[in-house]
Amino acid sequence: MTKKIIRSKSPNTFTELPDDWIIICRCEEITKGEIRRAVYEGMSTPNEIKRYLRAGMGLCQGQTCSHLIRFIVARELGIPALEVPAPTSRAPARPVEMGVLANDGLKLQAVVN
Amino acid sequence: MNTYDVIIAGGGVIGCATAYYLSKSGVKVLLLERDEIGVGGSSRNGGGVRQSARDLREMPLAMYAVQNLWPTLSDELGADVEYCQGGNLRLAKTPEHIAFLEKMVAAGKSAGLKLEMISGDEVRRLCPYLSDLVIGASYCPTDGHGNPMRTTLAFYRKARELGVLFITGEEVTSLKVKNGKIAGVCTRTETYYADRVLVASGYGSRAIAASAGIDLPMTKVLLEALVTEAQPKMFEQMLGTAAADFYGHQTSHGSFIFGGSSGYENHEYEKTRRETKSFTASSICRGILGYFPGLSSVNVIRTWAGFVDEMCDHVPVIGKADEVPGLYLACGFSGHGYGISPAVGKTLAALIEKDEYLLPLDALRYDRFVPRI
Amino acid sequence: MERYDLIVIGAGPAGLSAAIEAASAGMSVVVYDENSRPGGQLFKQIHKFFGSREHKAKERGFRIGEKLLAEANDLGVKVMLSSTVLGVYENREITVMTASQVNHVKASSIIIATGASENMLPFKGWTLPGVIGAGAAQTMMNLHGVRPGKRVLMIGSGNVGLVVGYQIMQAGCTLAAVVDASPTIGGYGVHAAKIARTGLPFYTSHTIKEAHGSDRVEAATIVEVDKSWNPVPGSEKRIEIDTICIAVGLKPMSQLAAMAGCVMEENPLKGGVVPVCDEFGETSLAGVFVAGDVAGIEEASSAMIQGKIAGAASALRMGCISEDIFKSKCTEYRRSLEQLREGMFAHKNRGKPKESTDEGFKLSQSLLQRGFVADVEISHYPGVPPAEKRARGIVPVIECTQNIPCDPCQDACRKGCIKVGTTITKLPEIDAAVECTGCGMCVVSCPGQAIFLINECVEGDFANVSIPYEFHPLPNKGDKGIALSRSGEYLGEAEVISVVTSRASDETSMLTMRVCGELSMKARFFRAN
Repeated sequence: MTKKIIRSKSPNTFTELPDDWIIICRCEEITKGEIRRAVYEGMSTPNEIKRYLRAGMGLCQGQTCSHLIRFIVARELGIPALEVPAPTSRAPARPVEMGVLANDGLKLQAVVN
Repeated sequence: MNTYDVIIAGGGVIGCATAYYLSKSGVKVLLLERDEIGVGGSSRNGGGVRQSARDLREMPLAMYAVQNLWPTLSDELGADVEYCQGGNLRLAKTPEHIAFLEKMVAAGKSAGLKLEMISGDEVRRLCPYLSDLVIGASYCPTDGHGNPMRTTLAFYRKARELGVLFITGEEVTSLKVKNGKIAGVCTRTETYYADRVLVASGYGSRAIAASAGIDLPMTKVLLEALVTEAQPKMFEQMLGTAAADFYGHQTSHGSFIFGGSSGYENHEYEKTRRETKSFTASSICRGILGYFPGLSSVNVIRTWAGFVDEMCDHVPVIGKADEVPGLYLACGFSGHGYGISPAVGKTLAALIEKDEYLLPLDALRYDRFVPRI
Repeated sequence: MERYDLIVIGAGPAGLSAAIEAASAGMSVVVYDENSRPGGQLFKQIHKFFGSREHKAKERGFRIGEKLLAEANDLGVKVMLSSTVLGVYENREITVMTASQVNHVKASSIIIATGASENMLPFKGWTLPGVIGAGAAQTMMNLHGVRPGKRVLMIGSGNVGLVVGYQIMQAGCTLAAVVDASPTIGGYGVHAAKIARTGLPFYTSHTIKEAHGSDRVEAATIVEVDKSWNPVPGSEKRIEIDTICIAVGLKPMSQLAAMAGCVMEENPLKGGVVPVCDEFGETSLAGVFVAGDVAGIEEASSAMIQGKIAGAASALRMGCISEDIFKSKCTEYRRSLEQLREGMFAHKNRGKPKESTDEGFKLSQSLLQRGFVADVEISHYPGVPPAEKRARGIVPVIECTQNIPCDPCQDACRKGCIKVGTTITKLPEIDAAVECTGCGMCVVSCPGQAIFLINECVEGDFANVSIPYEFHPLPNKGDKGIALSRSGEYLGEAEVISVVTSRASDETSMLTMRVCGELSMKARFFRAN
C-alpha cells in the first residue's frame, strides 16, 4: 500500500546550499541541487526523481546512488528515510548485449488472435 | 474543506494534462492518484507522438496536438519534454506488408494527413542503419516522439505550481452520486466533494465508473519494453513495422527505447503485478535485430512491463457520461494515449469548465458500445 | 527447459555452503556466479576468521573458500562461472547470461546468495580519480596484486575499514589515518589495536569535508563534527594522500529478489532493502530463499550457516531429507548462528551504551575512541597475568578486552593455560597455575593479533616481548629497531631476538624483541631502523 502524500507546495522559496553541486548520480551526473530542486517542485519518490531527472537511470541502475537519493528526498520532505520507498528493481540485473539477449534458444510462434 | 470545483481520479498523463489546462483558468482542482504520479502506462510506453496509423476517430485529437500543442509544450511547461518531430517510419519487408501500409496511408490521407509510401532506398536515406531487407515504408514527416515520463511529470509540476492539489497514495474506490448527479468521490478513508469528476485511471477506471453504473468494456494487456545504453545519434524517426515486430525511437539521451511482443500478452490479464516474462525481451530484441542488425552489440540496461487499458474497439472513451451529470471519462487509450494527451487534456478542460467542445468527441462516446446484432 | 533441483545464485560463502548442503542430500545443484572466480568475498579475505572451530575460526578467508569449492566439486555441484543471472521470473525460472547467449533454467528451489555492495559517501571531490570503495581496494590488492595508491585515507572505522586498512599496510602502502564521524570506533577493538600500534592516528568524531586535486586526489580535508553531526568550524585538518577509501557500510544486493516479486522491507539493522523471509530464509515466494549478506549484512561465518539452513530447507521441500532430520540440522545450525550473534557488536546490542563487558570489566574508552587500550587500563583484564606471575617467567598476555564471539586461543595452548569456556564471547582468562612453555601458538593463533608473550626474566635489565607479525619484509634475528607502544609511540630501542614462522601458524610470524625491562607491559610493535 503506497503511503499517502499530500503534494503541498512549500511556502518558502527554494534555498540553494553550498554543497548542491556535489554529484550524486555518477552515471548520469545529476547533482544534489538538481535532486533537491526536483523535490521542491513536487517529485516526492525516488521513482519520480528518476523519471524526471534520470538520476538512477544510468548503467548501474541506481546501485550507487539510490540510497543517497532516498536520504536527500527524506531530508527535503522532512520525513524518516524509512518512509521513502525504494525504487523499482528490474531485469536485466546487469547490462546484456541485444545480440546475446536475442540468442536465448526460444523462438515462439506468435499466437494469432 | 474537502470541496473542489473538479476532482480528477488518476495521476497519469491524461489526468495531469487536464489538471494543468484547468488550472490555467483558475479552476479549483483536486487530483487523486493511488500510487505515484505517472506510475502507469504514462511512464511505460514507447514515446510515440503520431497521427499516422490511427483510427480515424482519434485523428482530430492527434492532428490538433501535433499542430498546436506539442511544438511549444516544453516552453509552456518550463520543462523539456524532449519532443522531436523527426517523422514516423513504418517498415515493410514483404509485399503483404506494403499492401497493409498502403491501406493505412490511404486512410491517413483521407483525414488530411501528410503521409506517403516510400521505397527501400528512400527509407535508408532517412535512416541509414536499416537492414537491406526493408523494401519500403510509410512515412509521415509530421509525426515524432517525446519523453512520456518527463511529459507527465512536467504537466504535474506546472499544475501543482498553478495551484492544483495532488494527493498520492490515495485510491478512489467509488464515485459519490447524489440525486442522480456527481457529488464527489470516496477513497479508502475519505470523501472528497465536487460537482464534476473526471475518471482518468487507465484500467482502474472500469471499477470506478461501475460504481456509478457505467460499464467500460476494457481489458488489461501486459506489454513490455526495454531501454539500452546511450549511443551516438543514429536516427530521429519514430519507428514501427507493418508486422508489429517492434516499435521505438532513439531518445535525446542517446538510449533506444523499444517495445514489442511475444504474442502471449493477451493472456496475462489476470496478473496484478507489472511483471516481465522471461522470454519477451529476447523476442523484442530479435524483432529489432531483424531490421537493425548493427545494434547487436548495444547493451540492454532495463526491461519493464505495463498494463495497456485496451478498449474493446481500440480507441478511448473521452467525454461526458451524460446519464450521470458531472461525470467525465477519459480512459481506454489502448496503448496510444501519450501522443494525443495534450489535446485530450485541453479538450477535457474546455468541456469540464465551459461545456465547450474544442474538438469533436462524438465518436469516442462512452455509450457507443451497442451489440452487433 | 534445463531443470535442476536447486539453483544457487552466487558462489560465495552462503551460496557454496547451500549447494554443499543440498548436494549432500542428493539434490542436483547448479551455482551461477557472474565473476570469473568463485568464492565471493572469501577470496579477498586474507585475514583469519573469528568465531569458534565450527565457524572455521583462525582460518584465512581464502582457504575457507578453497575448501568450500573443493567440497562442492566433490559432491557434483555444477559451478558455472562468468554466468550472470539476469532475472528471476515466475515459476522459479531464471535467465542466465554467458558470453554469447542467454539460457532459461528452472528449479524446484532457488537460493539467492548475491551478497552485498558498498555504500557510498558523497563529498566535495568524491568523483576525482583515487576515491574508491574499501572493498574495491581489497579486490585490487588481494586478488590482483595491485596497490590502490601510495598514501591512503580510510573513511569508516567499522570492521571493513579496519581490516582493509591493515591490508593496505601489508600491501606496502602508507595508511595515513582512519576517520569516522562517530565518537567511537565501529569495528572490533583488536582490529583497531593492530593498526594503532603501528602509529596510525584515528580521527573519531571527524568526517571528510573535501578531496582536493585537479586530475586526481592529492589531499583531503577532514573536519570535526559535533553530536548533531554538524562540522565544527575551525577544526579542519589537511592530510596529504593520493587515495581515499570509503568504508561506510554495505547494503544487500537484493535486486533479483525484488524483481522476482518477493515482498521486500527496508530494514536498517540488516543494512538496507531485504526480502521478508522466515527463519529458514524462505521469502514470500514459495521455494525462493535468500542466504548470506543479501538477507542482511553480517559476515562470512554467518553467511555459511545461513547457506546451510537454506540448503537444508530446499532439500526438505523436495522430500530429500525428512522433517526430523531437517529439524535437528536446523537446531544445530541455529545454535551455531546464534553464537555468532552475541557480544558487543551483535545487531541486537547496537546502539546500547558501552560501559563494561558482560563480566563487569570496564570497557576501555581509549580503545573505543583512539584504538588502543591505555597503559593504566591493561592490567585489569582477565587475560593479563598479575605482576607477580610475570616476574616468575614467560607468560602470555592476552589484550582481548571486548566481548566478541571468538575462542581459538583456548585450543591453541596445549597446557590449557587459556580459558574461554562454552560461551565464546567471554573474555579469555589466564590460568595462573599453569606454567607457560613459551611455544607461542597462542600468539600466532589469535585472529585479532591480541596475544603476546612477555618474559621479564631476561639477563640484565631487559625483557623479551613476542608479538604477532604479518608484514613483509620479515625482520631478521639481530636486526635493530625501535619498540612502539599500543598507541604507536616511540618507546625505546629494540633488538630482534628471533622470528619464528611455522606451517602451523599459517603466515603469522612471531617476532621476539628485546627491550628495556620497564617496557615489558608497553612495547607492542617493532619497527626496523
